[in-house]
Amino acid sequence: MWVIIEEVRKSFRILLAYPVEVVFWIFSPLLWVIPLVFQGKALIGAFSSTPFGSLAGTDEFIPYVLIGAIVSTYMFSAVWSMGNSFRDETYYGTLEHILSAPVQPGYILIGKGLYNSILSTSFVIVQLLICVFIFGLNITLAKIFPIFLFLFLLIVGLYGIGFMAAALTLLIKEAHGMLHMFEYVLFLFSPIRYPVEVNPITKAISVFIPLTYALIALRGLLLNIEFNFWKNSIILLAIDCTLLPLGLFVFRRIEKRTKTRGTLADY
Amino acid sequence: MSENGHIVVKGIHKIFKKGRTDEVRAVDGVDFSIMKGELFGLLGPNGAGKTTLIKCISTLLIPDDGSVTVGGYDIYKESLEVRRHIGVLTGGERSLYWKLTPVENLRYFAALYGVPRKSVRKRIEFLLELMGLTDKATVRVEKLSSGMKQKLSLARVLVHDPPILLVDEPTLGLDPYFARFIRDFIKNELNRRLGKTILLTTHYMDEADELCERIAFMNRGKIEAMDTPVRLKQSMPQKQVLEIKCQGSLDKGIFDGIREAASINVSHDDGLVYVRVNTDNPEVILSNIIELVREKAKIVSVRVTVPTLEDVFVHLTGASLKDG
Repeated sequence: MWVIIEEVRKSFRILLAYPVEVVFWIFSPLLWVIPLVFQGKALIGAFSSTPFGSLAGTDEFIPYVLIGAIVSTYMFSAVWSMGNSFRDETYYGTLEHILSAPVQPGYILIGKGLYNSILSTSFVIVQLLICVFIFGLNITLAKIFPIFLFLFLLIVGLYGIGFMAAALTLLIKEAHGMLHMFEYVLFLFSPIRYPVEVNPITKAISVFIPLTYALIALRGLLLNIEFNFWKNSIILLAIDCTLLPLGLFVFRRIEKRTKTRGTLADY
Repeated sequence: MSENGHIVVKGIHKIFKKGRTDEVRAVDGVDFSIMKGELFGLLGPNGAGKTTLIKCISTLLIPDDGSVTVGGYDIYKESLEVRRHIGVLTGGERSLYWKLTPVENLRYFAALYGVPRKSVRKRIEFLLELMGLTDKATVRVEKLSSGMKQKLSLARVLVHDPPILLVDEPTLGLDPYFARFIRDFIKNELNRRLGKTILLTTHYMDEADELCERIAFMNRGKIEAMDTPVRLKQSMPQKQVLEIKCQGSLDKGIFDGIREAASINVSHDDGLVYVRVNTDNPEVILSNIIELVREKAKIVSVRVTVPTLEDVFVHLTGASLKDG
């Protein structure tokens, strides 16, 4: 546990050493929102649309997309940040020193994941405040627990994906192209920015993407769209139980492979 | 070879594939054993396989064949225990977080190496005091000099008080003052006073000669000879060396016709060229050698001396420690 805490502490100290990066984290939630508002307004002339409602289950376009942005914030921070975390260690020259420590790399990765989750959560809280105060999103205290339950279920599964992304970076070193592709596939086939019901192919493929269930649940809670609470919770839990051990397994296999090939600390 | 060694390496092989058909035998059947409390050196030029071997022993690289035990633990089956018992110091500056302070760095590595939380503060204070870095405790590492960074790296390696140290080119790139400090610290503090078992790799002959109780010559992935520095030097069949220091450019090939020499080494240092001829009869070949050197360079000094480890290495391998 102490390793995880120290990993988080170290990551924040390094972040704070780059003041411009901190400024980015403070202002980026706002910058995220404004284009979406303009895009929605330009497309439908208002913040609500009946044709949109027939597909999405809510007429409210902007809150719908904002919730997509919130969930995808977690998704992409897990994949990008955990994926690149060992690459950063390679740049610092410390990768071999942390991997020669008597600790399972999984704990180090969980620490890195937790650091990203804390950053993402602060980002998401600002986004939620924007939803509430600008777009009148109704968040009652009763909704807080289920919201965090679904966010937690989402994050655990994302750690599994993050482990795989970290492993991929160890293996191929420069994984930006592949991570971008992964990001675009998710934007296309899961209901981040639009209801996947708009196209039969996107609708069919979205069923296999864990993000879909978190989005259905969170939108259901926040926008009062009818959804099956237990079905979505159990599916996400099952995904967590699969992705987390799978992520660790993939990481260990690839770590062993890079140790065999002698490419662990290569750039 | 002793089975009771603190580090026991048997038949280690490591081959790296280069492209589809080429391969490099980085470590090619290496055996040695290091006793508890011994300071053992691996001396060889760059590319000899020393770092690859250190990485195998420290579990950062999986050998293709052979076995290694460290403190009695097997590197394949008990890698976490192996790591708990070792500290790895590498040359060069990038083994610390430059944006953190020495205290923050040591605190992080203490957590990573399982130092009990209660004792971390005292341990860090002790190590900073030991390294003379107390007044730099809260200064970012990026502001420290190269020598101070290496001192801090040493403190990092010692944070969990490991009984075994793997020290890879520890004085690489350091100025003479800090190199002297690091050498003295390794020999007097870590080895003599604290009784640490130390495997040191270096391509500096003087460093190995001064520090190590035993030395293994490593070249092209193999160990060519292994003994105490004194015995290695005594093993030379010819007991004298004719050394000519000169300015200019010399190729070893110009001495091909000198048959009385057991080996000839040409090396460059500080803008000067050193020709070292290992022979029993320096007076016989002196005039021939001088004549050949004069055609290409300006002679600065000539002397007859005794063989160094470099001469032994050249004699055994035909390669110089400065090669690579």
